[in-house]
Amino acid sequence: MTVESSPVHRKPWEEKNAVVSGVLAYLIPGAGHFYQGRWFKGLIYFVCILGTFFGGMKLGEGAVVYHLPNNRFGISLNYLAQVCVGLPALPAVYQTRRAKSLQNRDLDQLSAPLTAPFQGKLITKGPADRSETNELVGQIELVTDLDGSFPETHGKFTGTLDGEPIELELNGGFRLERPVSAGFQRTLICAVARTANQHPHESQVLRGYIPRPIVDGYCAPPEPGQLQDLHGRLGKFYDLAIAFTMIAGLLNVLAVWDAIEGPAYGFGDELPPTASETEAVTAPATKATAETPSATPPQTIR
Amino acid sequence: MPVLLAAADLHVSFYLLPLAAVISLVYSASRYELPEKILIRATKLFAQIIGFMAVVFAVLWFFSLGI
Repeated sequence: MTVESSPVHRKPWEEKNAVVSGVLAYLIPGAGHFYQGRWFKGLIYFVCILGTFFGGMKLGEGAVVYHLPNNRFGISLNYLAQVCVGLPALPAVYQTRRAKSLQNRDLDQLSAPLTAPFQGKLITKGPADRSETNELVGQIELVTDLDGSFPETHGKFTGTLDGEPIELELNGGFRLERPVSAGFQRTLICAVARTANQHPHESQVLRGYIPRPIVDGYCAPPEPGQLQDLHGRLGKFYDLAIAFTMIAGLLNVLAVWDAIEGPAYGFGDELPPTASETEAVTAPATKATAETPSATPPQTIR
Repeated sequence: MPVLLAAADLHVSFYLLPLAAVISLVYSASRYELPEKILIRATKLFAQIIGFMAVVFAVLWFFSLGI
């Protein structure tokens, strides 16, 4: 069925440079429409697409958008969909390069003193059992002494354990996750200094997270162990988070197309053709069909 | 929106509601230009998606009775 376009509407997508509109629409969802002065649609694309993308990122603890090249196609299907969202997903390419660099490895000593908020658990390993406390929240201070024959990291934790104030001396072992990796939390494992009345076979370890700067965690690829941890903790919500970011990217393809070519069905107030117009359009076609000789000669039945 | 849902500790299926709303709005916006038409079409599409999912849910629930 043909529809008649209303002559009162101007077409903003034809008044501006289509390439600029398309590139802007790709880089920031809705930006191409803002450039064309289509504020309502721009706002819909901006809020809906970026809301879905960053909502998915938050749901997956920032570890759902990353570029791990597939051996066969050079790009994973997840990232192929996610990168359609534009600028928010593009840093993944650079972060992959940073994550693969030799300097990016787990640390067992610090080059500068570390002071950071810490959230985790206190794990006690005894001769026969292993126990974990509830939430340990507070501030951790660590420094590595390089003066001795081998570097030694020590410091203290000040905070609360199950709401009760606690202070722990830290010494005897330390491991901090690599600087560039997915997510906005960095795993920290640190041994608690032994006390005089402690059982000789008992040891205590702090295990938890300190914040990771956004420039190191945003769109960085996760480690296999980190992925396992995320799947274990988030379950199907992790897959849902990936789906949200992928859908956001695919929706932006519609927005880019709309910025370049305009709406697919028109303005929406076009009038359906009248009966006489429909007849005028279909009649010649019907007549032509009737007049067209058959391509194959009629078969003779013997 | 997903963050608010996570805070409310809702079942994973409830995340499909904002997702369906977003898809309806963006799809309708890419089909039409006039705001009223976009909103009306998006509302209808949202209802269709939710209705379809409700029917599928009901069928699966029926066949899983007694399992």
